[in-house]
Amino acid sequence: MISSEVLPSIEVRNLTKIYRVHVERNNSLKDKLIYFGRAKHRDFVALRDINLSIMPGTTTALIGVNGSGKSTLLKILSRIIYPTSGTVILRGRVSSLLELGAGFHPDFTGYENIFLNASIMGLKRREVKERIQEIIDFSELGDFIHEPVRSYSSGMYMRLAFSVATVIQPQILLVDEVLAVGDAAFQEKCLYRLKELRRTGTTIVLVSHDASIVQRFCDSVVWLHNAEVKLVGPPEQCVPIYLHETTGTSVQPMSFDRVAHP
Amino acid sequence: MELRELIEYRYLWFELTLSELRTRYKGSVLGFLWAFANPLLTLIVYSIVFSNVMRIRMPHYSAFLFIGILSWNMFASAVQASAGVVVRQAGLVKKIYFPRQVLPLAVVGGSVMNFLFSCVILLPFLVAEGYYPTISWLWLIPLTFCEAVMAAGFALLVSAVNVYLRDLEHVLSIVLMLWFYITPIVYTPSMIPDRLSEFFKLNPLSGCILGFQSVLYFHSPLHWKLGLYSMSFAVVVFVVGWLVFSWLNKRFAEEI
Repeated sequence: MISSEVLPSIEVRNLTKIYRVHVERNNSLKDKLIYFGRAKHRDFVALRDINLSIMPGTTTALIGVNGSGKSTLLKILSRIIYPTSGTVILRGRVSSLLELGAGFHPDFTGYENIFLNASIMGLKRREVKERIQEIIDFSELGDFIHEPVRSYSSGMYMRLAFSVATVIQPQILLVDEVLAVGDAAFQEKCLYRLKELRRTGTTIVLVSHDASIVQRFCDSVVWLHNAEVKLVGPPEQCVPIYLHETTGTSVQPMSFDRVAHP
Repeated sequence: MELRELIEYRYLWFELTLSELRTRYKGSVLGFLWAFANPLLTLIVYSIVFSNVMRIRMPHYSAFLFIGILSWNMFASAVQASAGVVVRQAGLVKKIYFPRQVLPLAVVGGSVMNFLFSCVILLPFLVAEGYYPTISWLWLIPLTFCEAVMAAGFALLVSAVNVYLRDLEHVLSIVLMLWFYITPIVYTPSMIPDRLSEFFKLNPLSGCILGFQSVLYFHSPLHWKLGLYSMSFAVVVFVVGWLVFSWLNKRFAEEI
């Protein structure tokens, strides 16, 4: 089905991300002057030499234990943080749902935030007006849409974020574990919406700890472990190995203490 | 990031400019009316103080002062408010991609809008004081533009640096206070001692503020040299601010 002419929606080449972990934060002027240019920090390798290529219209799950680099990878794909080295090529309009909330202004009402958020994703005011009812309906927030979002529960937050991010018909959708926040009924609704998007050709990358969602829903799995890609393949093949290795007795403890060049 | 991308995100800029104005008055009873009430009340205070308490020999001194203060405020409020804007908007910066330059530029947009609202008070007041509109009032448009570009340049610069050096926000308020007094706002250039006047001309903002005063108060021709100096300075600051911002912006999400 996928001919060699089709270019991948997402291409990641030799991607490495090193975070600076500040031993002591030197934020005051005195410290900046004293430690100028040689602030005390050590490097933490979040991703090491990652290579990936994700074809248009496919759904990929990123799996891995906490701290393995999934969210960092997703943040780099969303262009929120920049890689230390390597390249990322994205082909198409990207919409992302990271952790809780997709970038809301806490003092604005849900309604105002829809405009703000949709304009960040490149929609005009008029286009938002055309879709606003659909967004509100999908979120099922009712009158709460006119309350400031700081008063929202995490579930409500996620509902609104999910509604905006998916109604705008992105070509690439990046989702980080947000589904876990919603109740079962809303989760089903979200999965249904994701399937619809997939049918219309949206490339989806999601982080999930829910093996059943991964198996039911994804075309392929990328397993990250200790900042590296451990395994790539279809879910029916990867998920059992992953579950066996991370929950069985043969667990190799993962270290949060990775340094660049020990 | 290129300017082209910024044009794609003009709706976001507009949306954030509106939200900048909304947050400014959010929660107050008068709400948006403060955009007009604030300059009006300032004007009333000046009028009382300078016609009854402190006698200044300059005719219509409160009008002169009001022009200077309003045009200064557009610049100062834009620069001061943009210092912390990236940190304030951490919720957006850490969660979603957009060209971060939009943040300080929206603050500048809000300040310019605010200035335009205060002109609704200023211009009728000038007419009431006997300063009738002339064709040279059209100069207000390029003057506002020039000051906005300069404010945008400084806004980009301070908003990016402030992420790494949070002290800047506090230092800035002192710097701006000093800057206010070395700019001919409360006094006219003719009051400056001769030996200092060359030094005062180095201030890039003088060209803009003097421009506003020339057009609205003195009805004198613009100071061409000063105006061109201000405009070129504005362009240079904008380019430098843009480059510094683009360079520093890469680690914003990790630093805030």
